[in-house]
Amino acid sequence: MFLRCFRAENRKLHASPIWILFFLLPVISAVYGTFNYLQNLGILQDQWYSLWTQHTLFYALFFYPVLVGVYAAYLWRLEHRGHNWNLILAAPVRPLALFLAKYVVVLKLVLLTQLLVFGLYVLCGKAFAHLPGWPPVQTLLFLLRGLVGGQCVIALQLLLSMLIRSFAVPVFLGLAGGVAGMLCASKGIGLAFPYALMQVGMNANKSEDLLAGQYGGFLLASALWLALFLALAHLLLTRRDVRA
Amino acid sequence: MQPVIETQELCKVYGQRRAVDGVELHVPEGCVYGFIGPNGAGKSTTMKMLLGLVHPTAGRVCLLGQPMTERNRLALLRQTGSLIESPSGYPHLTGEENLQVVADLKGVPRKDIDRVLEIVDLAGDRRRKVGQYSLGMRQRLGIAMALLGSPRLLILDEPTNGLDPAGIQEMRDLLVHMPERTGATVFVSSHLLGEMEQMAEQVGIIDHGKMLFEGPLQALQRHSRGNYRLRVLQPQKAVPALQARGVPARLEKGALTLPPLPDAALAAAVQAVADAGAGVVELTAHTKSLEEIFLSLTQTREVK
Repeated sequence: MFLRCFRAENRKLHASPIWILFFLLPVISAVYGTFNYLQNLGILQDQWYSLWTQHTLFYALFFYPVLVGVYAAYLWRLEHRGHNWNLILAAPVRPLALFLAKYVVVLKLVLLTQLLVFGLYVLCGKAFAHLPGWPPVQTLLFLLRGLVGGQCVIALQLLLSMLIRSFAVPVFLGLAGGVAGMLCASKGIGLAFPYALMQVGMNANKSEDLLAGQYGGFLLASALWLALFLALAHLLLTRRDVRA
Repeated sequence: MQPVIETQELCKVYGQRRAVDGVELHVPEGCVYGFIGPNGAGKSTTMKMLLGLVHPTAGRVCLLGQPMTERNRLALLRQTGSLIESPSGYPHLTGEENLQVVADLKGVPRKDIDRVLEIVDLAGDRRRKVGQYSLGMRQRLGIAMALLGSPRLLILDEPTNGLDPAGIQEMRDLLVHMPERTGATVFVSSHLLGEMEQMAEQVGIIDHGKMLFEGPLQALQRHSRGNYRLRVLQPQKAVPALQARGVPARLEKGALTLPPLPDAALAAAVQAVADAGAGVVELTAHTKSLEEIFLSLTQTREVK
């Protein structure tokens, strides 16, 4: 049942305009990060690690929540427009399967985005910053951790966009969440806030490992947030009347 | 025969407003059932409750002989095709891609898409984006989506809404032949009685959330029989002839208005007028509008 929903969701992405954003935002983020790095070579002396902080600072803070917000808002906008709520909820599938399919589709998009971010990081490091050798393997791990933390943001943004018919409002909430996440992360309570989980996972703007010795708590917090958002989605989809 | 749709005391209350108030539907298998009522009468809400999209405040829904529960809802939906508050669909995808989305959700093989495209006559436009479709084409696409998987029951909410006369005619032809063509029972709503008279065998009339009438169309037509208008060359000869037979006639705008009469009495009255040498030119039956039928139905209810 889930696979059927997933195939249907994938089909909806065909010829959709979000692919423009998919390429645009990581490129802006990379250009900005590289520029910042080259301007501040005096303080940024950790080479690949320093370039990583500059690349991911704005990506994790602004672009990631916005991008996930847009992906999520777009997927629900397809149902908000027309009368497609009636169409999908009168289909013989469990409502949670519909939500999970959207979650996995955004997860897939985010994974591709993260790979693009990494590709741009390596490219900028070699072509513009002329860094020696290849980036440390640890940066790939940061990327993976970013995805683990970031999937809570996906579930939360999908929940917001499911409830709020507007496109812009949930995206803006995502942006505000990103900023609030940075504040939480800097106060050391990053695990208590989904947007901050993404940032500590990515190790954005820090050269030392933010998560050293905290993996258990990080994974647990990520799983708990996800479970909470899925449970909320299930309740809302089954208890509320459809308003299309 | 087991009814395909049966509801008992179905109610939906929004705040103070009783949108649906004790509705009892009995839709026999293999027919086209017209669910008629003015806008805001509770048709869409009732249809959404049949599909479990809206939760009833009270009452029961039975589909295909089974009471609908949270547990068997998906199994019942698998045998049901629906089009609610049309038209749905994804405008950035082609007609065929839209059907693929629905086929995947329903778990229906993709080859069924060709069949439904043929039925609604959209095979030639399958590769065009739905955003470029006309309203009529989008409505037909909606019907095609409902038809995927050959459901036993079709629930269609105002499928002719917003169509031009040619589109309405096409939709009517499509639906009236649906039971024989696909074996499906069609439960279709409309706010126009005239439209239903040409396709439904069974009708249910709802107003202000309450059922006013349910039964065969012929039974309803007895209520809808209005006055007759008889145009003659010499009305002054016709009036005494009619009065002699005890038929009250009024002269209005050069023609006589007769009250509703049984067929035999009407034939005899016209014969008498002709024999009197009044020169019969034209006899037209006036059908009551839906509003007038509502009025007559509510009045009969009060008398009962």
